[in-house]
Amino acid sequence: MQAYLLNLGVLISIYSILAITLNFIMGYAGIFSLAHAVFFGVGAYTGALVAMSLSASIFVTVPIAMVVAGVLSLALALPALRVRGEYFVAASLGLQVLAVTVFSEWKSVTGGIGGLIGIPPVDLVGYQIYRPAAFFPLSLAVLVLVLVATRLLVHSSFGRSLTAIRDSESAAESFGKNVPLIKTISVVISAALAAIAGVLYAHYLAFINVESFTLDTSVLVMAMVIIGGTGTAAGPVVGAALLLLLPGLLSYMSFLPQTQIGAIQQIIYGLGMAVLMIFRPGGLVGRSKAKARTRPKDPDTEAQAPASRPAEAAR
Amino acid sequence: MLWLQLTFTGLQVGALYALTAAGFSLIFGATRVFHFAHGAAFVLAAYVFYWAETSGLGMVAGIVLAALAAMAFGVAMDRLVYAPIQRHEGSFFTVFVASFGIGIAVQNVLGMVFGRSFVTISTGLSRSVKLMDGVYVSPLAWIAVACAGLFFVALLLFLNRTHVGMALRALADSPELIRAYGLDPRRLSSIAFALGSLLVVPSAVITALGSGLNPTLGHHVMLISLAATIVGGIGSIGGALVAGFILGLAENLALVVFESQWTEAVTFAILFLVILLRPAGLFGRHATR
Repeated sequence: MQAYLLNLGVLISIYSILAITLNFIMGYAGIFSLAHAVFFGVGAYTGALVAMSLSASIFVTVPIAMVVAGVLSLALALPALRVRGEYFVAASLGLQVLAVTVFSEWKSVTGGIGGLIGIPPVDLVGYQIYRPAAFFPLSLAVLVLVLVATRLLVHSSFGRSLTAIRDSESAAESFGKNVPLIKTISVVISAALAAIAGVLYAHYLAFINVESFTLDTSVLVMAMVIIGGTGTAAGPVVGAALLLLLPGLLSYMSFLPQTQIGAIQQIIYGLGMAVLMIFRPGGLVGRSKAKARTRPKDPDTEAQAPASRPAEAAR
Repeated sequence: MLWLQLTFTGLQVGALYALTAAGFSLIFGATRVFHFAHGAAFVLAAYVFYWAETSGLGMVAGIVLAALAAMAFGVAMDRLVYAPIQRHEGSFFTVFVASFGIGIAVQNVLGMVFGRSFVTISTGLSRSVKLMDGVYVSPLAWIAVACAGLFFVALLLFLNRTHVGMALRALADSPELIRAYGLDPRRLSSIAFALGSLLVVPSAVITALGSGLNPTLGHHVMLISLAATIVGGIGSIGGALVAGFILGLAENLALVVFESQWTEAVTFAILFLVILLRPAGLFGRHATR
């Protein structure tokens, strides 16, 4: 029981980092990416390869993974500068599918479908951390660090520029903001921080393959952000906890046929996502509606706006 | 002769993509709903047809039942899922996540009922006939291409000649105007979903007869439809159709150079490049600024 809870705690921490970093570009920069699992994957593969060939020290694996993910994220920043709305969604989707193919077919590096096995445990100043009891505090600490870092960024002048761009790109531009640069930096930061989650994940499981980094993961993380509350501080963590607890609870229902339990979990999880969208579209930690309405432009309406004006979206 | 063979296969696959993409494009163009569960309508129709065929109801009954199932699913999604979301806030992504969730649920329900492995209906139609040396084409390929042409012409006539069709085209631009003319946007939206979902049926039936089915196929079909809609240009059903053919051909002709597992990457590399270089799509109504 304790092991189960610790395991769940580690996974919630890792997915919370993903949700927080996605929320950073979704909620504050208005960039709705369906390719977040790509950078999770890049972080995991890079971390694993560095740990297996160079050093498992967290101070080596994490920086390298962050740099690699940051550089690769320029592929996502490029369409973010060119297009908005559903066009960007489609571009990020394209990137996600391409990445999955690379993960599963670039066998010499990623191990193909079989993945990478025997990833050494994480090394923290000489201590090897592999037991869940020790790993959970580590992942929690990293989560807090990422949360604090993104909070500081959001409340800095950089964060204010971001929200200004989200609310009105042309207004921000006329105030002399370098819109392309700010957007690019936000995408790079988000991807680099997501890579940290990947490194933790690779060390924790000691095994990774493409299954963990597919479109499903990207949508799961997006669902966590929306269910928790886009553009809020606590929302992504709440969303991550809720969506990971949901299938976990089912394992305790012994009356379900064992062979079908995976399918039933998926059905509940899919329907749960839809039902939460219908009844809590603003998220659990969402701002109150009255308050949201007084803002000139809500992130939701901003996302909607280009959708109703294709000419505007295809810039 | 390899490339000629691949061209024929590409045309068959392209015809199937073109029809599902036209359905997605019709729904998206009229209602602005990113109907990701369109792929679920496809597998649902295909499995209903498979069920009818294996329980001896015959092919015609199977096609009718598949059409009814797809249309009922589309309208139910519109009424029960999208309409409530759009009534309050209703952002693009809220709709998308809900749609994706339903897609996962349908895929797993079908997996539980029919099993997760490939099933196929054996028929003489899928047997390849020698066209010339090294080029084999099955009757299904001709049927697929003919279906795509037929449905496309019917759709164009409907959208351009009937009042409902014209109202559907106007719906995307201004629901308010539709209301001012005394038409009900909700009812029109349901019509768009029914018609769009109907367009998956030929592809679903031909896939069941030809290459076979499995529950995860919906996901793949959906991604291709989406790519074709964007590549063709949002709001252009003809564009989606042509793009469907282009993607089908590209996927198969890529086999000359790449191994088969890279073909999906080819499709999405095309999508990515089109968005970067020509964001309005190949046939988009709106030029880039």
